[in-house]
Amino acid sequence: MDYTREIYWNIGHGVVLPMYLLSFAAMAMLAWGFWKRLPIYRQGKALDRFDRFDERVKRTVAEIFGQVKVARVRGGGLPHSMFFWGFLTLFAGTLLVMIQADFFTPVLRVNLLAGRFYLAFSLVLDLAGLLALVMLAALFSRRFITKPAGLESTDQDYIVHQLLFAILVSGFLIEGARMAASELTQNPGLARFSPVGYLVARLFTSFDPDSIRTTHKVLWWLHFALVLGFFAAIPYCKLRHIVTTTLNAFFAPLEPKGTLATINLEDESVEQFGAATIADLTWKDLFDADACTSCSRCQDRCPAAATDKPLSPMKLIQQIGAVAESAPGASLTEAIGEEAVWACTTCRACQEICPANNEHVNKILELRRNLTLMEGAFPGDEVRSAVSNIEVNANPFGLAFAGRGDWAEGLPVTVMADGAEVDILYFVGCYASFDKRNREIARSFIKICAAAGVRVGILGKEEKCCGEPVRKLGNEYLYQQLAGENIELIEGYGVKRIVTTCPHCFNALGRDYRDLGLDLPVEHYSSYLHRLIETGELQLSAQAEPFHFTYHDSCYIGRYMDIIEEPRAVLARAGGRVREMEQSRYDSFCCSAGGGRILAEEKTGTKISEARVKMALETGSPLIVSNCPFCLTMFEDGIKTGGAEGELSVRDLAEIVAERLA
Amino acid sequence: MKLLICIKQVPDMESRFKVGAGGSWYDETDLAWRMNEYDEYAVEQAVQLKEQLADAPELTVLSIGPDRVLEPVKKALAMGCDRGVHVQDAAAAHKDPWQIASIIAAYARDKGFDLILTGMQSQDRGSAQVGVLVAEQLGIPCSTTMVGFAYDNGTITAKRELEGGLKGVVKLTTPALLTCQLGLNVPRYPTLPNIMKAKKKEVAAIAVADLLKELELTGTASVYQPPKRGGGIVLEGDFAAMADRLLGILKEKTAVVR
Repeated sequence: MDYTREIYWNIGHGVVLPMYLLSFAAMAMLAWGFWKRLPIYRQGKALDRFDRFDERVKRTVAEIFGQVKVARVRGGGLPHSMFFWGFLTLFAGTLLVMIQADFFTPVLRVNLLAGRFYLAFSLVLDLAGLLALVMLAALFSRRFITKPAGLESTDQDYIVHQLLFAILVSGFLIEGARMAASELTQNPGLARFSPVGYLVARLFTSFDPDSIRTTHKVLWWLHFALVLGFFAAIPYCKLRHIVTTTLNAFFAPLEPKGTLATINLEDESVEQFGAATIADLTWKDLFDADACTSCSRCQDRCPAAATDKPLSPMKLIQQIGAVAESAPGASLTEAIGEEAVWACTTCRACQEICPANNEHVNKILELRRNLTLMEGAFPGDEVRSAVSNIEVNANPFGLAFAGRGDWAEGLPVTVMADGAEVDILYFVGCYASFDKRNREIARSFIKICAAAGVRVGILGKEEKCCGEPVRKLGNEYLYQQLAGENIELIEGYGVKRIVTTCPHCFNALGRDYRDLGLDLPVEHYSSYLHRLIETGELQLSAQAEPFHFTYHDSCYIGRYMDIIEEPRAVLARAGGRVREMEQSRYDSFCCSAGGGRILAEEKTGTKISEARVKMALETGSPLIVSNCPFCLTMFEDGIKTGGAEGELSVRDLAEIVAERLA
Repeated sequence: MKLLICIKQVPDMESRFKVGAGGSWYDETDLAWRMNEYDEYAVEQAVQLKEQLADAPELTVLSIGPDRVLEPVKKALAMGCDRGVHVQDAAAAHKDPWQIASIIAAYARDKGFDLILTGMQSQDRGSAQVGVLVAEQLGIPCSTTMVGFAYDNGTITAKRELEGGLKGVVKLTTPALLTCQLGLNVPRYPTLPNIMKAKKKEVAAIAVADLLKELELTGTASVYQPPKRGGGIVLEGDFAAMADRLLGILKEKTAVVR
């Protein structure tokens, strides 16, 4: 017996015209809904996010069909992905039926939906429907029964869930009714390939044939109406993310992570720096609000939000959207709150996890640029004096710039001004130069380099703050001044390779300075030492005492620069046995010092550093290893104020390695 | 209304000072420079007055010294002053307060300034004389150590800081000179548009010889580092051992424990 089915069974071909007309009407509503939103996005500044088209298309296809970013969070994400695949399969199946009915059959006179293919088609669609239904139930119970913290639900969410349920259930009922009246008796071999439909069909066996036909017809129209309602509703409710989030996978930046537009300070026609109103943001910044699904993943990972500061990256995105929609001329800082704008540590946890490719950090930095460059504002007086110190002595401590190279006294280091061949320029940074505790990092690094036979040069008193903290506070002017002076010096000495121990210097020199003309290989010592060990240039002692530790991924090394495994490998080679914190690698939790917050006091809420110290304690390790002077400073502090002294100590990667040289 | 604000560039006090050749002033190697703190209050107060009077006053900022003093002049212009005057003098640091005051007075004499603001003193020489000597030479009233300022139609009400935490209030009519003390205001951070605008503002250069006709009245005999006293001791290690050592030191070196 042949396996196929009669399309429009019980409905009749007379339905084709009204069906298409109604479908077009629904699609028109969908298009109209998005069309009406275009003027909102157009209020933003121009930005080219259509370049490198092929690359963008590839990424979009991979992200959306692979559901890569959605599935990264198991709770909520995985069921959503599986629901997506189920629903997508049903949609594709329906499209195939449509093409068969209204193109293949009348025009080509072939039936694709027959034979073995039809068996597979029936089974796949039936199971896809089941998958979608089960996953929807899981998502429903998560949202409305278990209710994880931070997940806010509205009536709209409830209605959308009910609509999807109704579509899936009515679909199965139609299938069941049709099977009860046909396949179940006429072709039981085929019925087995629709297991869920088969079970539903059994419900109808007590009905008389006419009632089944009437029920089928009513349900068919109901299902059709619901599906049209679904499409028409997309732009008007949260379902809009089906379109906007997909588009954002295309629009997401292709530049290296952490890239921030370098302001052209020579351009005298510019009168506004940073973002005061939405007109100063780009269209993409405004579009992001529509791509947000309120999943709260960003907020759940935000160190500021986790320690009771008035910042939620999710709300920030949405507040910008609300201003763009209803009060385009309003002050963004007022809408969001100045304290929230200053609270961000630019740790990028929000952006890393966002399934919608929203760009939180640069929005905040544009808001800060407006506050700093247009209003001369600071998050506090301590920051005002630190910035003034940087202006005068090129370090935030206000210590004499002439003492910048003092830490290197007696060590095998060449000051570049004295002139001698060197293999690398060690850009020391303010903390390792001046801070007593952090000088140990610099000294250890020199000791390691000496053991590996690497000749190290430093700029000494000529070196200036890299400018990263002030740039992240919005002070592009001071940043470019410092960067310009450093670049001129470095280029003047004919340096070939730069190594930093500070991730912030590393990000500034290695990425940001490129915009200002520095074009040299810049490395963080984590990967540099890893390479020296791999090539055998650096030998570690084989008899080194094994030690237990937990490793803290600095935001600007891990998330920003993808240096995740190298420091772990170095520590393992040094005899370390790691016990990872729950929030590690790309999910690492900031120490609190990024985004220029190293210069600011933490006045609101609890201390971020203490929260991180607590996470380290939970691993049971006696030692937390970091590779950033800011992290080291914050953890030394967090261990003291958090009462973890005696239980936990913090050391830098360089200190560990320097003690275990062969 | 015309205002004159006199500012000085001084080394940052965290700098490493060395006595210079000649022994009468410091050596300038390895020094970081900034605007004298008290002069920043003067600039800020002038800009605030300009804002109060709807932009009417014209603010002239003046500094004496080598070319490096153009830096603080630019900063003052970025903060809101209208025009700058650079009295070119490579040897300004070696002039006494009377000579410096004479230079300023010679410049200001025929300009009709309604108000002159200076810092209370400089952070490096700290004579606290220049302001009052300018007023003396111009024959205008003067008040010092100002921590509060109000202006109303030619009358200035200035709050002064006195000894022992006392404050006093004085009233003056313009033209007058005031010297500014810590606590008067919080100097603003120049905005970027204002920094850009400042680059186009005029800075007049005047050779010091055109203004200085006076000889010095006080000469600096010598400048020297204070003698090194005994350094502090930081005790580290076990608490009990630290307590014992502390007790030992107190017994040995003081009369606190007998």
